Amino acid sequence: MVPPEYYLLLSSGLFCIGLFGILTRRNALYFLMSVELMLNAANINLVAFSLYWGNLTGQTFALFAIALAAAEVAVGIGIILALYRNFGDVDVMAAATMRW
Amino acid sequence: MTDDEPGSSSLRPGLAAVALFGVLAAVVLGSASGFGDPVQFPAGESIVHNIGYALFDIDLGGIPTEGFLAAFLIIAIALDVALDSAVYLAKREDDGTIISALTDGGREIVDGDVAGAADREVTGSTETDETEQGGDR
Repeated sequence: MVPPEYYLLLSSGLFCIGLFGILTRRNALYFLMSVELMLNAANINLVAFSLYWGNLTGQTFALFAIALAAAEVAVGIGIILALYRNFGDVDVMAAATMRW
Repeated sequence: MTDDEPGSSSLRPGLAAVALFGVLAAVVLGSASGFGDPVQFPAGESIVHNIGYALFDIDLGGIPTEGFLAAFLIIAIALDVALDSAVYLAKREDDGTIISALTDGGREIVDGDVAGAADREVTGSTETDETEQGGDR
């Protein structure tokens, strides 16, 4: 069995790549992708330790995390679409004047 | 489209991300011996079947887990809400305008053009082209 440290390192790297994307990108689509990377980093940990401890709770929980990520992307893309229609761009900084 | 060319402005976030990875790696490698012996799944048990049993809270599996029926139903509702909200955000209204969600201070959008774009053109704003590209085509 692969030692859990490798999984942790992989998920740490994935999380940091997602964080880098969030901090640097202004395109809302890249933003969403970066958030997905961070969520999947958590999923890697859940699945890895589920296997390590012989308990299925982690894998089942990872399924729910994937479902929540799908919901988030659905709403996110809807927001991006509305953003593009209203501001002509998907720059997350362009919506500074957005208000009710 | 947004200009997302990486430049010198991404140096600091990059360094911060690398620093965070260094800290995380140090913590992970420092605690390498603290995980104990692996247990792993029992031989011959189907993981997929057991996940199904866990999702519906059925005590038929041989792998230890918890019941997730309530979470399953809540996630089903959450996904439904997400689908509805995505459709709501994306749809057009009957008169051709889009819904008022996320409007820029209530500017009216007619026929794929943002009302007021002509005004900005008169004042010589450079955002006119971008705005015209952003019509609801």
